[in-house]
Amino acid sequence: MPDRFRFIPARLLQSIPVLFGVTVLVFFMVHLLPGDPAVAILGQTATPDRVAALSHQLGLDQALWRQYLLFLGHLCQGNLGQSITYQRPVSGLVLQAIPVTLSLLLFALVLSLLISVPLAGLAASAPGRARDLGVRFFTLLGQGMPQFWIGIMLILLLAVNLRAFPVGGYGKTWPQHWYYLFLPALTLAIAMCPTTIRSLRASTIDVLASDYVGTARSKGAAGISLFRLHVLRNAAIPTVSIIGVNLGYLVGGALVIEKVFAVPGLGSLMINAIFARDFPTIQAVSLFVAVFVIVVGILTDVVYTAVDPRVDISKERS
Amino acid sequence: MTRSARMRFTAIAALAAAALAACGGGGADSTEAGSGPVNGGDLTIARAQDIISMNKTTTFDNDSIYVMEQIMEPLFTVSADGTKVEPWLATGYQVSDDKLTYTINLRQGVTFSTGQPMTAADVKFALDEDTKTGADGWGYINAAIASVNVVDGNTVAIKLKYAWAPLLADLSLFSNGIIPNNYGGKTADEFYQAPVGTGPFVWDSWQKGQYVKVTANKTYWGSKPHLDSVTWNVVPDANTRKLQVQSGQVDIDDTPDWSSFTSLKNAPGVNAQTFKSTYEEYVTFNEQRTPFADAHVRRAISYALDRDAIVKTVLFGNGTPANSLFSPGTPYYDQNNGAPTFDMAQAKKELAQSSMPNGFTTTILINSGNPNEASIAQIMQAELQQLGITLTIRQLDPTANKQSRLKSDFDLTIQSWTMDIPDPDEWTTFVVDPSGGSHSAFSYYANPAVIALNKQAQAETDDAKRGQLYAQLQKQTSQDSFLAYLYYAPYVFAMTDKVKGFAVTPLGNYHLENVYKTN
Repeated sequence: MPDRFRFIPARLLQSIPVLFGVTVLVFFMVHLLPGDPAVAILGQTATPDRVAALSHQLGLDQALWRQYLLFLGHLCQGNLGQSITYQRPVSGLVLQAIPVTLSLLLFALVLSLLISVPLAGLAASAPGRARDLGVRFFTLLGQGMPQFWIGIMLILLLAVNLRAFPVGGYGKTWPQHWYYLFLPALTLAIAMCPTTIRSLRASTIDVLASDYVGTARSKGAAGISLFRLHVLRNAAIPTVSIIGVNLGYLVGGALVIEKVFAVPGLGSLMINAIFARDFPTIQAVSLFVAVFVIVVGILTDVVYTAVDPRVDISKERS
Repeated sequence: MTRSARMRFTAIAALAAAALAACGGGGADSTEAGSGPVNGGDLTIARAQDIISMNKTTTFDNDSIYVMEQIMEPLFTVSADGTKVEPWLATGYQVSDDKLTYTINLRQGVTFSTGQPMTAADVKFALDEDTKTGADGWGYINAAIASVNVVDGNTVAIKLKYAWAPLLADLSLFSNGIIPNNYGGKTADEFYQAPVGTGPFVWDSWQKGQYVKVTANKTYWGSKPHLDSVTWNVVPDANTRKLQVQSGQVDIDDTPDWSSFTSLKNAPGVNAQTFKSTYEEYVTFNEQRTPFADAHVRRAISYALDRDAIVKTVLFGNGTPANSLFSPGTPYYDQNNGAPTFDMAQAKKELAQSSMPNGFTTTILINSGNPNEASIAQIMQAELQQLGITLTIRQLDPTANKQSRLKSDFDLTIQSWTMDIPDPDEWTTFVVDPSGGSHSAFSYYANPAVIALNKQAQAETDDAKRGQLYAQLQKQTSQDSFLAYLYYAPYVFAMTDKVKGFAVTPLGNYHLENVYKTN
């Protein structure tokens, strides 16, 4: 077992240059944007003199490479710097937003699996028949509708008309958080489902036609227990990597959905930081998203390896 | 969200709202039983932006300001109609004969929320704190103050460098709010993380990006607040805010979109209201660029704008065409100043007399993602075409846009202004006097006669004479047409039926101690 997971340290090492590249790209891209934070802070009272004074106070009048080295030096010491807008450490702002976005993504992932697995099984059990067509129609719909539109429709139906859920927000206690996050998570889940269902349906049909399932059937296995014991694990293998890739994309989707549902996560933080030219906050959030995508990539391979004993990524690399 | 996505979003939201209004209807339980204020409850206000800081001397965004005003109070306050200054933590004042010393009597029996009584030493500290920030904060508003002196425990004397009529209005600004001497023994940074004042509400908590909350000050010197607490939630999306107030999840939606205002007005259980403001939208000509140093060109463009059409398109009819440098909510507003109104024949005549009789090509700088400015620019494009002026629209996001204005890198641009104090000087010095620091609101307009009028008005303490000076100033600036006034827009709030007593002054601030919620 440990042998097959030996790829993990190497992958972690590989991620260091990637993260370095991200800091360089993000730093210089945000500084290429016209407009500096002092302008954003001063609002309608901004005059050239006062903008210059504030820029100086914030250290924004130093050479760009110097600012970058300063940022990198602080980063190596684990210091993400001060938010220009709030004049507070960025780490506090980001740490407060990370659990929000992660819970949202996790919740969405769980919901999407709860929807996808039964629907894919249902469709695969009778390819071409009415229930299969029904499921395929649903996936088409899910894929065709923009996320924010699904979000608005869910709000109108479940929150405004039925008043079963709140219209956006996050609540103050953990039970409230899950309650408030249900609709945005469902929105993301619906957007995520189509690819999962399609892949799972196709692989399930293949597995169902295989010899070992025939053998299992002849031994009397049927229905849900056949699906659970013999089919799902084998059919899930290609889907695992699709879910992994999807989660990466989902971070982007979550940023938009957070705005629609007023969820105070990384997305809201990022959008505000961009408009205010709050450079340290933009850098911190992009860095976190990069780390997240890398970790999900590694985790996907771990799950992949764990699910399928034949997979040995360490060997393929060498 | 990109601009087109946002437009689509708004369109869909409007459709959805229409559908909802159609299937909803009826069933509004408006129980108007039992008059008189109700005590208790939490008021929830949803708005687009979070607060940034509670430091009253260096914070410029309204979202922060409206919260700090519930906690820290100034010596004077603005009247409900926004045009006069009334004593608040002060009870009265005397002016010396040379107009250079204001002796101010403080209200007795006022305590901070910590229980400490407010004294003259606190007042001196608070005013000096603001003055000290100079150009880095709101200190410039106190530029005329030479010193603040403690006369006795309940009296301060403010010495001026020169006669300065707007002093009381300046003292009514939140940045001159009264806080405990020496920050109550804390550092400035510590203090403003949990500010203390004499106001009707007390700082409670701030979850950044989520909400900020204040609770009632049980020992408030004035009429006690009815509410237990007030929470401002951050809800960036206008459509989400609208649905939240419709579902009763929040009590007040701060600034719904104009496109949804009518549907909110007709929604059951919702009360959508406008309040008189000092908001003025205008076009700025950059006089450093040809041909805008030519007053004929500026007047031609100003005459060519159909302001009624703009109000109808942009504000869905909820505003009025602008006709002065001042807004009607500003003291000394005079509507008879001869400002250009829509008249295409007059516009053509002016252009014919100008240096560019056959028209020219120019650009207008607007904020990307701002549907209002996009509509205005498109209307202008069509109207100026009739004069032979080809207008190209240039879009930049708000911060980049401001940067361009600071660098004078634009031909025409759309700007707006709201007043912070009930005195025209804050605006006139910014907009007509190049020494105000903004090169006359980035127009580079400099008419010596107007600058002199503004200086005279600053020193004139006789109300009637001051009014005449500002009338002359409005006349001359309209004659020069250095800005093309577009419209005045009111403030807009949507609230549930349960909210009573909520009112906004033309300066945008509100006194929440008078607000209550029925059951």
